[in-house]
Amino acid sequence: MHEYAFFLGCIAPNRYPGCEASAIKTSEKVGIKLLPLKGASCCPAPGAFGSIDLNVWYAMAARNVVLAEEMKKDIALICNGCYKSIYEVNHILKHNDELRDGVNEVLAEIDMQFKGSIDVWHLAELYYDEKICGLKKIRDSVTTPLNGVKIAAHYGCHLMKPQKERHFGDTENPMWFEELIEALGAEPVQYRNKMQCCGAGGGVRGYDIVHALDITNEKMINVREAGADAITEVCPFCQLQFDRGQIEIKEKFGDVYNIPVLHYNELLGLAQGMSPQDLALDLHAIDCTPFLKKVL
Amino acid sequence: MAAKTYNIPELDTKLADRRYHLTDANPEFTQKILKTSRTIANMCYQCGTCTGSCPSAPRSSYRIRLFMRRCVLGLEDEALTDPDLWLCTTCYSCTDRCPRDIAPTDVIMAMRNLAFLRDIVPKNFLQTCQLIYNSGHGVPNNDVNRAARTKLGLPADPPTTHSYPEFIKGIQKIIDHYGLKENADRILKGD
Repeated sequence: MHEYAFFLGCIAPNRYPGCEASAIKTSEKVGIKLLPLKGASCCPAPGAFGSIDLNVWYAMAARNVVLAEEMKKDIALICNGCYKSIYEVNHILKHNDELRDGVNEVLAEIDMQFKGSIDVWHLAELYYDEKICGLKKIRDSVTTPLNGVKIAAHYGCHLMKPQKERHFGDTENPMWFEELIEALGAEPVQYRNKMQCCGAGGGVRGYDIVHALDITNEKMINVREAGADAITEVCPFCQLQFDRGQIEIKEKFGDVYNIPVLHYNELLGLAQGMSPQDLALDLHAIDCTPFLKKVL
Repeated sequence: MAAKTYNIPELDTKLADRRYHLTDANPEFTQKILKTSRTIANMCYQCGTCTGSCPSAPRSSYRIRLFMRRCVLGLEDEALTDPDLWLCTTCYSCTDRCPRDIAPTDVIMAMRNLAFLRDIVPKNFLQTCQLIYNSGHGVPNNDVNRAARTKLGLPADPPTTHSYPEFIKGIQKIIDHYGLKENADRILKGD
Protein backbone atom coordinates (compact mmCIF):
# COMPACT_ATOMS: atom_id res chain seq x y z
CA MET A 1 0.00 0.00 0.00
CA HIS A 2 1.38 3.42 -1.00
CA GLU A 3 0.43 6.02 1.59
CA TYR A 4 -0.09 9.71 0.86
CA ALA A 5 -1.27 12.77 2.73
CA PHE A 6 -4.52 13.67 1.00
CA PHE A 7 -4.71 17.39 0.29
CA LEU A 8 -8.38 18.25 -0.27
CA GLY A 9 -8.47 21.88 -1.30
CA CYS A 10 -11.82 23.71 -1.24
CA ILE A 11 -14.19 22.82 -4.07
CA ALA A 12 -13.91 19.03 -3.77
CA PRO A 13 -14.82 18.78 -0.06
CA ASN A 14 -17.09 21.84 0.07
CA ARG A 15 -19.01 21.64 -3.21
CA TYR A 16 -18.54 18.17 -4.74
CA PRO A 17 -17.99 15.83 -1.78
CA GLY A 18 -18.43 12.89 -4.18
CA CYS A 19 -14.97 13.71 -5.54
CA GLU A 20 -13.49 13.33 -2.07
CA ALA A 21 -15.43 10.19 -1.16
CA SER A 22 -14.65 8.48 -4.47
CA ALA A 23 -10.97 9.41 -4.32
CA ILE A 24 -10.60 7.74 -0.93
CA LYS A 25 -12.53 4.60 -1.91
CA THR A 26 -11.28 4.09 -5.46
CA SER A 27 -7.63 4.61 -4.63
CA GLU A 28 -7.76 1.99 -1.89
CA LYS A 29 -8.79 -0.63 -4.45
CA VAL A 30 -5.64 0.01 -6.48
CA GLY A 31 -3.17 0.05 -3.61
CA ILE A 32 -3.13 3.73 -2.66
CA LYS A 33 -4.06 4.84 0.85
CA LEU A 34 -5.04 8.49 1.32
CA LEU A 35 -4.54 9.82 4.84
CA PRO A 36 -6.22 13.01 6.08
CA LEU A 37 -3.98 16.07 6.08
CA LYS A 38 -5.20 17.69 9.27
CA GLY A 39 -5.42 21.47 9.39
CA ALA A 40 -4.80 22.04 5.68
CA SER A 41 -6.27 25.18 4.19
CA CYS A 42 -7.08 26.49 0.73
CA CYS A 43 -4.03 25.77 -1.45
CA PRO A 44 -4.43 29.00 -1.78
CA ALA A 45 -6.14 29.64 -5.13
CA PRO A 46 -3.25 30.39 -7.52
CA GLY A 47 -5.20 32.88 -9.64
CA ALA A 48 -7.22 34.72 -7.06
CA PHE A 49 -4.57 34.74 -4.33
CA GLY A 50 -1.35 34.70 -6.36
CA SER A 51 -2.54 37.69 -8.36
CA ILE A 52 -2.59 39.84 -5.24
CA ASP A 53 0.69 38.88 -3.67
CA LEU A 54 2.87 35.99 -4.78
CA ASN A 55 4.88 36.07 -1.56
CA VAL A 56 1.83 35.27 0.54
CA TRP A 57 0.90 32.59 -1.97
CA TYR A 58 4.33 30.97 -1.50
CA ALA A 59 4.07 31.11 2.29
CA MET A 60 0.49 29.83 2.49
CA ALA A 61 1.13 26.94 0.12
CA ALA A 62 4.36 26.14 1.97
CA ARG A 63 2.38 25.85 5.21
CA ASN A 64 0.26 23.10 3.62
CA VAL A 65 3.39 21.33 2.38
CA VAL A 66 4.97 21.51 5.83
CA LEU A 67 1.90 19.81 7.36
CA ALA A 68 2.64 16.83 5.11
CA GLU A 69 6.36 17.05 5.78
CA GLU A 70 5.53 16.64 9.46
CA MET A 71 3.59 13.45 8.55
CA LYS A 72 6.60 12.30 6.49
CA LYS A 73 4.27 11.58 3.57
CA ASP A 74 4.14 12.76 -0.02
CA ILE A 75 1.02 14.75 -0.90
CA ALA A 76 -1.63 13.40 -3.27
CA LEU A 77 -4.37 15.72 -4.48
CA ILE A 78 -7.27 15.75 -6.93
CA CYS A 79 -7.44 19.33 -8.23
CA ASN A 80 -5.36 21.06 -10.90
CA GLY A 81 -5.54 24.39 -9.10
CA CYS A 82 -4.23 22.83 -5.91
CA TYR A 83 -1.56 21.12 -8.00
CA LYS A 84 -0.39 24.47 -9.31
CA SER A 85 -0.07 25.90 -5.80
CA ILE A 86 1.22 22.94 -3.86
CA TYR A 87 3.38 21.25 -6.49
CA GLU A 88 4.82 24.43 -7.90
CA VAL A 89 5.57 26.16 -4.62
CA ASN A 90 7.15 22.96 -3.29
CA HIS A 91 9.27 22.80 -6.44
CA ILE A 92 10.22 26.49 -6.43
CA LEU A 93 11.16 26.56 -2.75
CA LYS A 94 13.27 23.44 -3.12
CA HIS A 95 15.37 25.14 -5.78
CA ASN A 96 15.32 28.83 -4.87
CA ASP A 97 17.26 29.60 -1.70
CA GLU A 98 16.27 33.26 -1.58
CA LEU A 99 12.54 32.55 -1.72
CA ARG A 100 12.84 29.61 0.69
CA ASP A 101 14.62 31.76 3.27
CA GLY A 102 11.93 34.41 2.94
CA VAL A 103 9.16 31.87 3.42
CA ASN A 104 10.90 30.20 6.35
CA GLU A 105 11.28 33.55 8.07
CA VAL A 106 7.48 33.88 8.03
CA LEU A 107 6.81 30.23 8.87
CA ALA A 108 9.12 30.57 11.89
CA GLU A 109 6.50 32.88 13.41
CA ILE A 110 4.16 29.88 13.62
CA ASP A 111 6.88 27.36 14.53
CA MET A 112 7.09 25.77 11.12
CA GLN A 113 9.91 25.23 8.67
CA PHE A 114 9.91 24.26 5.04
CA LYS A 115 12.46 21.48 4.57
CA GLY A 116 11.72 20.32 1.06
CA SER A 117 11.54 16.68 2.12
CA ILE A 118 8.44 15.53 0.23
CA ASP A 119 7.01 15.40 -3.28
CA VAL A 120 3.56 16.38 -4.54
CA TRP A 121 1.46 14.27 -6.90
CA HIS A 122 -1.88 14.46 -8.62
CA LEU A 123 -3.89 11.29 -7.96
CA ALA A 124 -4.49 10.95 -11.72
CA GLU A 125 -0.75 10.76 -12.41
CA LEU A 126 -0.39 8.15 -9.65
CA TYR A 127 -3.16 6.13 -11.32
CA TYR A 128 -1.26 6.31 -14.60
CA ASP A 129 2.16 5.64 -13.08
CA GLU A 130 3.16 1.97 -13.58
CA LYS A 131 5.36 2.10 -10.47
CA ILE A 132 2.46 3.07 -8.22
CA CYS A 133 -0.72 1.84 -9.88
CA GLY A 134 -0.83 1.73 -13.68
CA LEU A 135 -3.55 1.05 -16.23
CA LYS A 136 -3.62 -2.70 -15.59
CA LYS A 137 -4.51 -2.28 -11.93
CA ILE A 138 -7.21 0.24 -12.87
CA ARG A 139 -8.60 -2.18 -15.46
CA ASP A 140 -8.56 -5.07 -12.97
CA SER A 141 -10.41 -3.01 -10.34
CA VAL A 142 -13.35 -2.36 -12.70
CA THR A 143 -16.48 -4.40 -11.91
CA THR A 144 -19.03 -2.38 -13.91
CA PRO A 145 -17.35 -1.44 -17.19
CA LEU A 146 -18.69 1.82 -18.60
CA ASN A 147 -19.35 0.26 -22.00
CA GLY A 148 -21.18 2.11 -24.71
CA VAL A 149 -20.55 5.72 -23.66
CA LYS A 150 -18.40 8.36 -25.29
CA ILE A 151 -16.45 10.52 -22.91
CA ALA A 152 -14.58 13.75 -23.60
CA ALA A 153 -11.41 14.27 -21.59
CA HIS A 154 -10.69 17.73 -20.25
CA TYR A 155 -7.08 17.89 -19.04
CA GLY A 156 -7.30 21.36 -17.57
CA CYS A 157 -4.37 23.76 -17.51
CA HIS A 158 -2.38 23.72 -14.33
CA LEU A 159 -1.66 20.01 -14.15
CA MET A 160 0.48 19.91 -17.29
CA LYS A 161 1.31 23.53 -18.01
CA PRO A 162 3.78 25.22 -17.99
CA GLN A 163 5.38 22.20 -19.60
CA LYS A 164 8.97 23.00 -18.63
CA GLU A 165 8.08 23.12 -14.95
CA ARG A 166 6.18 19.81 -15.10
CA HIS A 167 7.01 16.27 -16.15
CA PHE A 168 4.07 15.31 -18.37
CA GLY A 169 5.67 15.97 -21.75
CA ASP A 170 3.53 17.08 -24.68
CA THR A 171 0.83 19.59 -23.81
CA GLU A 172 -0.54 20.04 -27.35
CA ASN A 173 -2.13 16.62 -27.79
CA PRO A 174 -1.50 14.34 -24.80
CA MET A 175 -3.27 10.96 -24.68
CA TRP A 176 -2.69 9.58 -21.18
CA PHE A 177 -6.06 10.74 -19.85
CA GLU A 178 -7.80 9.00 -22.78
CA GLU A 179 -5.98 5.80 -21.82
CA LEU A 180 -7.27 6.13 -18.26
CA ILE A 181 -10.82 6.53 -19.61
CA GLU A 182 -10.40 3.54 -21.91
CA ALA A 183 -9.33 1.45 -18.90
CA LEU A 184 -12.86 1.92 -17.51
CA GLY A 185 -14.43 0.44 -20.64
CA ALA A 186 -15.66 3.77 -21.98
CA GLU A 187 -14.81 5.24 -25.35
CA PRO A 188 -12.76 8.45 -25.19
CA VAL A 189 -13.58 10.92 -27.96
CA GLN A 190 -11.31 13.47 -29.56
CA TYR A 191 -12.68 16.97 -29.98
CA ARG A 192 -11.49 20.26 -31.37
CA ASN A 193 -9.08 22.28 -29.24
CA LYS A 194 -9.24 19.82 -26.34
CA MET A 195 -6.42 21.50 -24.42
CA GLN A 196 -8.32 24.78 -24.19
CA CYS A 197 -8.90 26.27 -20.77
CA CYS A 198 -12.33 25.92 -19.08
CA GLY A 199 -12.37 29.69 -18.62
CA ALA A 200 -12.65 29.85 -14.86
CA GLY A 201 -9.02 30.28 -13.81
CA GLY A 202 -6.97 33.31 -12.92
CA GLY A 203 -9.86 34.85 -10.99
CA VAL A 204 -11.71 35.46 -14.29
CA ARG A 205 -14.83 33.57 -13.15
CA GLY A 206 -15.21 36.04 -10.30
CA TYR A 207 -14.06 39.09 -12.28
CA ASP A 208 -16.05 38.69 -15.50
CA ILE A 209 -18.40 35.71 -15.46
CA VAL A 210 -19.69 36.32 -19.00
CA HIS A 211 -16.16 36.28 -20.37
CA ALA A 212 -15.40 33.06 -18.49
CA LEU A 213 -18.63 31.44 -19.68
CA ASP A 214 -17.94 32.43 -23.27
CA ILE A 215 -14.73 30.39 -23.14
CA THR A 216 -16.64 27.50 -21.54
CA ASN A 217 -19.30 27.77 -24.21
CA GLU A 218 -16.74 27.33 -26.99
CA LYS A 219 -15.50 24.23 -25.25
CA MET A 220 -19.03 22.87 -24.86
CA ILE A 221 -19.75 23.37 -28.58
CA ASN A 222 -16.66 21.32 -29.42
CA VAL A 223 -17.55 18.60 -26.92
CA ARG A 224 -21.08 18.30 -28.26
CA GLU A 225 -19.79 18.19 -31.83
CA ALA A 226 -17.79 15.08 -30.91
CA GLY A 227 -20.96 13.38 -29.63
CA ALA A 228 -19.73 12.97 -26.06
CA ASP A 229 -22.15 11.60 -23.43
CA ALA A 230 -20.15 13.16 -20.64
CA ILE A 231 -17.10 15.26 -19.85
CA THR A 232 -14.52 14.06 -17.40
CA GLU A 233 -11.77 16.10 -15.80
CA VAL A 234 -9.32 15.94 -12.92
CA CYS A 235 -10.09 19.35 -11.44
CA PRO A 236 -13.16 20.20 -9.31
CA PHE A 237 -12.86 23.87 -10.31
CA CYS A 238 -13.11 22.95 -14.01
CA GLN A 239 -15.96 20.63 -12.97
CA LEU A 240 -17.77 23.53 -11.33
CA GLN A 241 -17.22 25.72 -14.38
CA PHE A 242 -18.59 23.09 -16.80
CA ASP A 243 -21.36 21.81 -14.51
CA ARG A 244 -22.83 24.98 -13.01
CA GLY A 245 -21.52 26.86 -16.02
CA GLN A 246 -23.96 25.04 -18.30
CA ILE A 247 -26.84 26.39 -16.20
CA GLU A 248 -25.33 29.89 -16.35
CA ILE A 249 -24.70 29.57 -20.10
CA LYS A 250 -28.36 28.69 -20.55
CA GLU A 251 -29.38 31.80 -18.59
CA LYS A 252 -26.95 34.18 -20.23
CA PHE A 253 -26.66 32.90 -23.81
CA GLY A 254 -29.66 30.55 -24.16
CA ASP A 255 -27.49 27.60 -25.25
CA VAL A 256 -28.44 24.20 -23.80
CA TYR A 257 -26.11 21.21 -23.68
CA ASN A 258 -27.09 19.00 -20.70
CA ILE A 259 -23.82 17.11 -20.86
CA PRO A 260 -22.98 15.67 -17.41
CA VAL A 261 -19.58 16.50 -15.96
CA LEU A 262 -17.85 13.94 -13.76
CA HIS A 263 -14.50 13.96 -12.02
CA TYR A 264 -12.35 11.01 -13.10
CA ASN A 265 -12.57 9.65 -9.55
CA GLU A 266 -16.36 9.65 -9.78
CA LEU A 267 -16.20 7.73 -13.08
CA LEU A 268 -13.76 5.28 -11.57
CA GLY A 269 -16.10 4.93 -8.58
CA LEU A 270 -19.01 4.06 -10.88
CA ALA A 271 -16.83 1.56 -12.73
CA GLN A 272 -15.78 -0.02 -9.44
CA GLY A 273 -19.42 -0.51 -8.47
CA MET A 274 -20.10 2.54 -6.31
CA SER A 275 -23.71 3.74 -6.58
CA PRO A 276 -24.64 7.27 -7.76
CA GLN A 277 -25.76 7.90 -4.17
CA ASP A 278 -22.28 7.00 -2.89
CA LEU A 279 -20.96 9.75 -5.16
CA ALA A 280 -23.56 12.44 -4.36
CA LEU A 281 -24.17 12.85 -8.08
CA ASP A 282 -27.45 14.56 -7.19
CA LEU A 283 -25.36 17.60 -6.16
CA HIS A 284 -24.31 18.07 -9.78
CA ALA A 285 -26.17 20.89 -11.52
CA ILE A 286 -26.49 18.87 -14.72
CA ASP A 287 -28.61 15.75 -14.32
CA CYS A 288 -26.43 12.64 -14.66
CA THR A 289 -29.39 10.23 -14.98
CA PRO A 290 -29.37 9.81 -18.81
CA PHE A 291 -25.66 9.03 -18.63
CA LEU A 292 -26.13 6.63 -15.72
CA LYS A 293 -28.93 4.80 -17.56
CA LYS A 294 -26.50 4.10 -20.37
CA VAL A 295 -23.77 2.65 -18.18
CA LEU A 296 -25.47 0.98 -15.23
CA MET B 1 14.74 64.49 -40.10
CA ALA B 2 12.70 66.79 -37.97
CA ALA B 3 9.50 65.42 -36.58
CA LYS B 4 6.26 66.80 -37.96
CA THR B 5 4.84 69.43 -35.66
CA TYR B 6 1.25 69.55 -34.45
CA ASN B 7 1.76 72.70 -32.38
CA ILE B 8 1.01 70.73 -29.25
CA PRO B 9 4.22 70.92 -27.20
CA GLU B 10 3.56 67.68 -25.27
CA LEU B 11 2.85 65.71 -28.43
CA ASP B 12 5.77 67.26 -30.27
CA THR B 13 8.15 66.16 -27.54
CA LYS B 14 6.81 62.63 -27.81
CA LEU B 15 7.06 62.57 -31.59
CA ALA B 16 10.60 63.92 -31.49
CA ASP B 17 11.55 60.87 -29.45
CA ARG B 18 12.36 58.41 -32.21
CA ARG B 19 12.67 55.40 -29.92
CA TYR B 20 9.68 55.50 -27.64
CA HIS B 21 7.99 57.87 -25.27
CA LEU B 22 10.61 58.13 -22.59
CA THR B 23 8.39 60.42 -20.58
CA ASP B 24 5.90 57.57 -20.04
CA ALA B 25 8.51 54.92 -19.44
CA ASN B 26 9.69 53.66 -16.11
CA PRO B 27 12.67 51.31 -16.53
CA GLU B 28 12.29 50.23 -12.92
CA PHE B 29 8.90 48.77 -13.81
CA THR B 30 10.59 46.36 -16.22
CA GLN B 31 13.14 45.38 -13.60
CA LYS B 32 10.46 44.79 -10.96
CA ILE B 33 8.55 42.53 -13.34
CA LEU B 34 11.66 40.55 -14.25
CA LYS B 35 12.30 39.94 -10.56
CA THR B 36 8.76 38.99 -9.53
CA SER B 37 7.92 36.94 -12.61
CA ARG B 38 11.29 35.15 -12.67
CA THR B 39 11.09 35.06 -16.46
CA ILE B 40 13.15 36.74 -19.20
CA ALA B 41 10.39 39.08 -20.36
CA ASN B 42 12.94 41.49 -21.86
CA MET B 43 13.74 38.86 -24.52
CA CYS B 44 10.29 39.24 -26.12
CA TYR B 45 10.51 39.93 -29.86
CA GLN B 46 6.76 40.51 -30.31
CA CYS B 47 6.01 37.55 -32.58
CA GLY B 48 2.44 37.31 -31.25
CA THR B 49 2.36 33.55 -30.67
CA CYS B 50 1.09 34.34 -27.17
CA THR B 51 -1.94 36.30 -28.34
CA GLY B 52 -2.60 33.65 -30.99
CA SER B 53 -2.70 30.97 -28.27
CA CYS B 54 -4.80 32.96 -25.83
CA PRO B 55 -8.40 31.82 -25.12
CA SER B 56 -9.26 35.31 -23.83
CA ALA B 57 -8.06 37.17 -26.95
CA PRO B 58 -10.84 36.17 -29.39
CA ARG B 59 -13.55 37.49 -27.08
CA SER B 60 -12.10 40.69 -25.67
CA SER B 61 -9.60 43.46 -26.27
CA TYR B 62 -7.09 41.67 -24.05
CA ARG B 63 -3.80 41.19 -25.91
CA ILE B 64 -1.00 39.49 -24.03
CA ARG B 65 1.53 40.64 -26.66
CA LEU B 66 0.62 44.24 -25.86
CA PHE B 67 1.30 43.66 -22.18
CA MET B 68 4.65 42.10 -23.05
CA ARG B 69 5.56 45.24 -25.00
CA ARG B 70 4.44 47.44 -22.13
CA CYS B 71 6.66 45.40 -19.86
CA VAL B 72 9.72 45.80 -22.09
CA LEU B 73 9.12 49.54 -22.59
CA GLY B 74 8.37 50.12 -18.92
CA LEU B 75 4.92 51.58 -19.61
CA GLU B 76 3.78 51.19 -16.05
CA ASP B 77 0.62 53.31 -15.95
CA GLU B 78 -0.64 52.00 -19.25
CA ALA B 79 -0.20 48.40 -18.14
CA LEU B 80 -1.50 48.59 -14.59
CA THR B 81 -4.56 50.71 -15.25
CA ASP B 82 -5.78 48.60 -18.16
CA PRO B 83 -8.79 46.52 -16.98
CA ASP B 84 -7.83 43.82 -19.50
CA LEU B 85 -4.99 42.90 -17.16
CA TRP B 86 -7.51 40.82 -15.18
CA LEU B 87 -8.83 38.80 -18.14
CA CYS B 88 -5.95 36.29 -18.20
CA THR B 89 -7.20 32.86 -17.09
CA THR B 90 -3.57 31.85 -16.40
CA CYS B 91 -3.93 28.83 -18.72
CA TYR B 92 -0.23 29.00 -19.66
CA SER B 93 -0.87 28.22 -23.35
CA CYS B 94 1.23 31.26 -24.29
CA THR B 95 3.99 30.12 -21.98
CA ASP B 96 4.14 26.66 -23.53
CA ARG B 97 4.28 28.05 -27.06
CA CYS B 98 6.59 31.02 -26.59
CA PRO B 99 9.55 30.56 -28.99
CA ARG B 100 11.76 32.65 -26.68
CA ASP B 101 11.01 30.52 -23.64
CA ILE B 102 9.38 33.39 -21.79
CA ALA B 103 6.44 32.90 -19.43
CA PRO B 104 4.03 35.73 -20.41
CA THR B 105 1.52 34.35 -17.88
CA ASP B 106 3.97 35.04 -15.08
CA VAL B 107 4.50 38.57 -16.42
CA ILE B 108 0.75 39.11 -16.04
CA MET B 109 0.88 37.74 -12.49
CA ALA B 110 3.75 40.11 -11.66
CA MET B 111 1.84 43.06 -13.13
CA ARG B 112 -1.22 42.16 -11.06
CA ASN B 113 0.95 42.08 -7.94
CA LEU B 114 2.28 45.54 -8.80
CA ALA B 115 -1.24 46.81 -9.53
CA PHE B 116 -2.37 45.64 -6.10
CA LEU B 117 0.37 47.79 -4.55
CA ARG B 118 -1.43 50.75 -6.14
CA ASP B 119 -4.85 49.55 -4.87
CA ILE B 120 -5.84 48.51 -8.39
CA VAL B 121 -7.53 45.13 -7.96
CA PRO B 122 -11.01 43.71 -8.71
CA LYS B 123 -13.17 43.05 -5.65
CA ASN B 124 -13.48 39.30 -6.09
CA PHE B 125 -9.75 38.82 -5.51
CA LEU B 126 -9.96 40.63 -2.19
CA GLN B 127 -13.08 38.74 -1.15
CA THR B 128 -11.29 35.42 -1.69
CA CYS B 129 -8.51 36.72 0.51
CA GLN B 130 -10.99 37.64 3.26
CA LEU B 131 -12.66 34.21 3.07
CA ILE B 132 -9.33 32.44 3.41
CA TYR B 133 -8.38 34.71 6.30
CA ASN B 134 -11.58 33.93 8.18
CA SER B 135 -12.09 30.23 7.46
CA GLY B 136 -8.93 28.92 5.80
CA HIS B 137 -10.97 28.17 2.69
CA GLY B 138 -11.56 30.26 -0.42
CA VAL B 139 -14.76 28.26 -0.93
CA PRO B 140 -16.06 27.43 2.58
CA ASN B 141 -18.45 24.64 3.52
CA ASN B 142 -22.23 25.17 3.77
CA ASP B 143 -25.22 23.35 5.27
CA VAL B 144 -26.43 21.68 2.06
CA ASN B 145 -22.96 20.29 1.56
CA ARG B 146 -22.63 19.22 5.20
CA ALA B 147 -25.80 17.15 4.86
CA ALA B 148 -24.52 15.59 1.64
CA ARG B 149 -21.15 14.78 3.21
CA THR B 150 -22.84 13.06 6.16
CA LYS B 151 -24.90 10.94 3.76
CA LEU B 152 -21.70 9.84 2.05
CA GLY B 153 -20.25 8.70 5.36
CA LEU B 154 -17.78 11.60 5.43
CA PRO B 155 -17.46 13.90 8.45
CA ALA B 156 -19.78 16.92 8.05
CA ASP B 157 -16.72 19.15 7.87
CA PRO B 158 -13.55 18.02 6.04
CA PRO B 159 -10.39 17.41 8.14
CA THR B 160 -9.04 20.79 7.08
CA THR B 161 -9.15 24.08 9.01
CA HIS B 162 -12.92 23.49 9.08
CA SER B 163 -12.46 20.61 11.55
CA TYR B 164 -9.33 22.04 13.14
CA PRO B 165 -10.00 25.78 13.53
CA GLU B 166 -6.98 26.07 15.83
CA PHE B 167 -4.88 26.17 12.64
CA ILE B 168 -6.59 29.35 11.41
CA LYS B 169 -4.53 31.50 13.76
CA GLY B 170 -1.33 30.47 11.96
CA ILE B 171 -2.86 31.30 8.60
CA GLN B 172 -3.89 34.72 9.86
CA LYS B 173 -0.36 35.32 11.13
CA ILE B 174 1.07 34.57 7.70
CA ILE B 175 -1.42 36.84 5.91
CA ASP B 176 -0.97 39.60 8.50
CA HIS B 177 2.80 39.40 8.12
CA TYR B 178 2.30 40.84 4.63
CA GLY B 179 -0.51 43.16 5.72
CA LEU B 180 -2.72 41.61 3.09
CA LYS B 181 -6.00 41.42 4.99
CA GLU B 182 -5.60 44.97 6.24
CA ASN B 183 -5.14 46.23 2.67
CA ALA B 184 -8.01 44.12 1.36
CA ASP B 185 -10.37 45.48 4.02
CA ARG B 186 -9.25 49.04 3.38
CA ILE B 187 -9.65 48.81 -0.42
CA LEU B 188 -13.07 47.11 -0.18
CA LYS B 189 -14.28 49.72 2.31
CA GLY B 190 -13.27 52.52 -0.03
CA ASP B 191 -15.39 51.12 -2.85
